[in-house]
Amino acid sequence: MKRYSFFKKQENHKSTDFTDVLEHLQKSKDFTSFTLNFENEIYCVSFFDTLIDKDIMHRDLLPFLHTNSSTLEELVHNLPIEGLVFTKKPAELQSQLLMGYIAITLNNQSDQAVLVKAANNTSRQVTLPEVEFSVVGPKEALVESLDTNLYLIRKRLPIAELAVEEIIVGKLSKTRVAVLHIEGIANSENVETVIQRISDLRVNQIIDSSYISQMIVDNKNSPFPQFIDTERPDRLAAVLGEGKVVILVDGAPHGLLGPSTFFEYFAAFEDYFLNWTIASFFRLIRFFAVLFSILMTPIYVAVLTYHYELIPKDLVSTLVISRSGIPFPPILEALILELAIELLREAGARLPTKVGQTIGIVGGIVIGTASVEAGLTSNVLLILVALSALGSFTTPVYQMGNTIRLIRFPLLLMAYFLGLLGIAISFCFLLVHLLRISSLGRPFLEPLYPPRIYDMRDALIRLPFFLQAKRPIEVQTEDTVRLEPKEDSKD
Amino acid sequence: MNDKSDQISPFLVFFLIVKIQVGVGVLGFQRIIIQSAGHDAWMAVIISGVVFSLGIWGMYNLLNRHDMDLIGIQKRLFGKRLGGLLNIIWILYWLMVGISVLRSYLEIVQSWVFPQINTWMVTSIFALLIYYVVLGGFRVVAGICFLGISIPSYLILTFYFPLEFTHFRNLLPIWDHSLKDMALASKQMSYSYLGVSTLMMYYPLVKHRKSSQKWAQLGNLISVFLYLCLTILTIGYYSEDQISRYIWATLSFWGIVQMPFVERFEYIGIATWVLVLVPSVCLYMWVSARGISQYFKMKQKTIYALLLILLVVMTNLIKGREMINQFVDYISNLGLILEIPYVLFLVCLSTVMSNKKEDKK
Repeated sequence: MKRYSFFKKQENHKSTDFTDVLEHLQKSKDFTSFTLNFENEIYCVSFFDTLIDKDIMHRDLLPFLHTNSSTLEELVHNLPIEGLVFTKKPAELQSQLLMGYIAITLNNQSDQAVLVKAANNTSRQVTLPEVEFSVVGPKEALVESLDTNLYLIRKRLPIAELAVEEIIVGKLSKTRVAVLHIEGIANSENVETVIQRISDLRVNQIIDSSYISQMIVDNKNSPFPQFIDTERPDRLAAVLGEGKVVILVDGAPHGLLGPSTFFEYFAAFEDYFLNWTIASFFRLIRFFAVLFSILMTPIYVAVLTYHYELIPKDLVSTLVISRSGIPFPPILEALILELAIELLREAGARLPTKVGQTIGIVGGIVIGTASVEAGLTSNVLLILVALSALGSFTTPVYQMGNTIRLIRFPLLLMAYFLGLLGIAISFCFLLVHLLRISSLGRPFLEPLYPPRIYDMRDALIRLPFFLQAKRPIEVQTEDTVRLEPKEDSKD
Repeated sequence: MNDKSDQISPFLVFFLIVKIQVGVGVLGFQRIIIQSAGHDAWMAVIISGVVFSLGIWGMYNLLNRHDMDLIGIQKRLFGKRLGGLLNIIWILYWLMVGISVLRSYLEIVQSWVFPQINTWMVTSIFALLIYYVVLGGFRVVAGICFLGISIPSYLILTFYFPLEFTHFRNLLPIWDHSLKDMALASKQMSYSYLGVSTLMMYYPLVKHRKSSQKWAQLGNLISVFLYLCLTILTIGYYSEDQISRYIWATLSFWGIVQMPFVERFEYIGIATWVLVLVPSVCLYMWVSARGISQYFKMKQKTIYALLLILLVVMTNLIKGREMINQFVDYISNLGLILEIPYVLFLVCLSTVMSNKKEDKK
């Protein structure tokens, strides 16, 4: 079922009739139009050269046009092709020609046409996931074509209840956005909210699913992402079973899922493929890595600027030696190193692959070592900054890693102004921010607050499958049973 | 921020009560009560706790009967003018308690961490933080109270360190002091338990509110238990003479903590205490603002901005140990009158009036 967005109404007024439409489109070099003479009728075939699959035209359409049909309506019944549309509306002719359809008109009649679906569907092959690679588990990733993505998800959920709603968004790009959910499991409120928000979008172009994510989130000013972004179809299939709503965008190899909670951003999908004890251990490591990443450099700055007394006596000599001779106060030192790491990362991301790898290694090692030897920074701080950077890369969801790197800077500045007190205040600020934001109306910090002990089985740790018999409370699903109870074996 | 979307589940009342009672008072309550009751001060803790438990029962009795918050009840019982006057007294009282809590914490920061700190700057930063919290509605305030207990609870583990050096014999002989001393100590203890009256303002926002009394009583019980443990530990660790010289006994405990990665643990304790302090002040601000908003039709943001400016200004006007002591004494006396006797009086009045109504029928 297709729903059209805001701009559809405007288009209906523009086009006048068929000849005008075809003349207008002739201005593009890649629009082809030719006539075929048969005994009874003369057909005029028009299409966009670049949009159609020529094989379909040569193999499936042209040999069969010789059907002795007197009118176009008969032609619809006689042609052995699926997806034929008979139209009298110029607007439909124009829009379908632009989607890769072939229009067949009779030479002497210019108010009716038959549209044949022949869109070129080449896209990238299904390959390994680049962002969320997992050592064990399926290694398929989404591609840019929406139809292929839907195939990848549908083959994992071969049930009738998997509902796919399609919305066309974008005045210029007319992007197809698909919203998936499983009827009877997903909360209809969540589904309705998502569909409503997407249908209300009035933009010109939707290039990627992250556009959708930025435009329909609850809190647009928060640096924290509120929809999980994933390129794995198995993850999407799994969360659909949990009761979440999935958004796929044509042209984007990432899918969005919501509602999400803070702790899900630290859950790599690989956790479910490993034993629960190992998976819990890895999750805890990730969580502590992130805490370390946020807090370590600010604590260094705070302690060395204000609270020398905190340093254990065995460590004081090391720190004093490493700090001696350095012309900058700890805050400047820390800012220089943090910015250097960010520069390295940005430069590595913008350079072409072959040059980028060298620069990364050279930059990291050379700049680091040289700055310590020149006496510009201390080696202790270098280690801390490098570990913090590593810690921020452990988050499985890329957007959350960016957020972690960003919030380190305000904490650094507050540490400089108010020492440990500043760190405590800004940490409090961070907690309050997390308390205030929501994902599709659901609190973001669930299951920490509001405290739901049942959901804590899959937050910081992951308990075995047989202990997770019900779906998470946070999604408010309509059907909560996930693990069928054992039947009485006496029967 | 209407009432329907801002409801919290009843067991969060437990955290709200514990949070408001375990505030800045924990850091320095021991000296005052031990000065009055000596090594029997732990009994004063229990007595005071029982009195407050009675107070909570009274509050629930009152609230369950009228099913509205304190402002509404006083308006109903005393009419518009007298009720309005009493409401103003309560609102000012909560505001003052909030200010005193913040000021006490700042005094600790000034004494232990940053002697030359610019108090205007720090209070302004706190005020901004509190503004951000309360604008999120009561759910966020309850959330920060919950986190303000869960996260600093690791500090309980640090009390293992003084345990090695305690002499529990200091507690004997039991009941060595006169009733008058005990009464005085109980009264001084009650400053720490103050704040349960805020329950009477957020009561309408609790789901299944009539059955939430068990959570409030449990919260009170846990606070009493915590204070009791601390008191016994203090009596066992310090001598009576020593304790009269330590204004903040709990902080001095943290001076004994020895950990391999940090030399002076008090700094970490004081920094963590921010997370304990901010929720208390937020709750008082929220309660005052809610009271004010029932009289004046101003935007929430304006009310909070005004209250917070008042907070910053007043916190900075109170300077010096003496003034702080005086202020805190004054507030605690007022609080003691308002929270227990006045509430019980309201309960009696309300019972009598509802009986009259029934008689009329």
